[in-house]
Amino acid sequence: MIVTKSIADRVKEMPMLSVVSTRLLELLGEDNYSIRDVVSIVENDAILTTKILRAANSVAYSPRVPITSVTAAINNMGEKVIMGIAIESCAPKVFKDPLGGYMSEAGQMWDHSLCTAIGARQLSSYTIKESSSNLAFTAGLLHDIGKSVMSVILEGNTEEMLGHIDNGEAVSFLDAEKKIAGMDHTELGYELAQHWKLPEQLAMAIRYHHHPQDVDDKYKDLVYTVHLGDILAMMAGIGTGVDGLAYSIDRTYKDYIEIREDELAIAVADIQEEFFKTKQAILGEETE
Amino acid sequence: MGINYIGIGDFAVSNKPDDIIKTMALGSCVGIMLYDPKLKIAAMGHIALPDSKVRGQRGMDKPGRYADTGIPLLAKAMLNKGSKRGRSLIVKIAGGAQINDPNDTFNIGKRNVLAVKKILWKCSLILKAEDTGGNIGRTMQVGVDTGEVTLSSPGRSKWKL
Ligand SMILES: [Fe+2]
Ligand SMILES: [Fe+2]
Repeated sequence: MIVTKSIADRVKEMPMLSVVSTRLLELLGEDNYSIRDVVSIVENDAILTTKILRAANSVAYSPRVPITSVTAAINNMGEKVIMGIAIESCAPKVFKDPLGGYMSEAGQMWDHSLCTAIGARQLSSYTIKESSSNLAFTAGLLHDIGKSVMSVILEGNTEEMLGHIDNGEAVSFLDAEKKIAGMDHTELGYELAQHWKLPEQLAMAIRYHHHPQDVDDKYKDLVYTVHLGDILAMMAGIGTGVDGLAYSIDRTYKDYIEIREDELAIAVADIQEEFFKTKQAILGEETE
Repeated sequence: MGINYIGIGDFAVSNKPDDIIKTMALGSCVGIMLYDPKLKIAAMGHIALPDSKVRGQRGMDKPGRYADTGIPLLAKAMLNKGSKRGRSLIVKIAGGAQINDPNDTFNIGKRNVLAVKKILWKCSLILKAEDTGGNIGRTMQVGVDTGEVTLSSPGRSKWKL
């Protein structure tokens, strides 16, 4: 099939991130940062501050004393929830819109991203070398951003793609994407990461989350955790669309992540529990 | 009447003819449906892992999450609704999908299906139909009135089990 509008144009048409969002992601893309720096960025943004305070005062938390500062909100809800709210509000359309080309309803992309983030964070404690759990969480949230642009291109081609998968012509859904669009959602995600000037580590996690063995060594620990976090989210059926579980695991993960079968089972249970709790917390603002 | 949605590790039972019990997006998880055709009672569970023993010292979180503890719970729920447990129940399962894994470490889907079959056998429940494996996510639902189980997956037309 012929893609009429060039993919480069579609990426360029994606709205730019706000100044606050760009600064925030720059900070969150570092290995180490202090939560105080996050607070000072968030406090510069009235909308984001309001969102966080609303969540902190929602029924999900029902604090005894009203929460009136971002610092108090962090103490009450934890960094994870704050980062979730902050990153979601950087690009709400990417996370919240339905992905027609993937047969995903509104909110499913967010669910999948959040579950992957929680999984990646959890797995970062099993990397052979020490790795940053906060970075894993942020990268997990952003790993599939390419799908938002890809979805438009895939729309109307579902049957053809499933045909390729079912007859084995496409081993993974990435191959099916390539047949339709000439590239897959990791390559497209990388283009979008460039457009948004995301930090290199995050861009690399987006680009290589389905085949971490190809990424530069210095990013491998991060990218393997995102890779496996993504797989655990798919296995739990969280936010999966037409692509389902049609991906491959990178067998070389064992050189970077060491996890026994029973530890994996425990991690699966913990990730599921934590996902539903965190989702509830972040949605707090809406269930008020 | 209503649709009774069940999440991971949850289960539901109903004898209201208008009810539907539904579980969304089974990946490597397995959905288990029990049906008493005489009394028109249906139950459904959504298990995520084969064996609760992995929890060890950590204690139980959600018994419905594990095949070994979840299936007895499901059978007991049927019993509490007045059904006579055992061979007369219709049992159907779906899910247990797999990511393509050359090492086979992440074969939780396959192990879930095996564990479910083993526990069903232990509970003298006879499996009538299954739609398991592959790499698709499945949504499973049962109508209490008929016991008819319908499966769906994004981008594909619904099918009966
Ligand atoms: Fe992906
Ligand atoms: Fe993903």
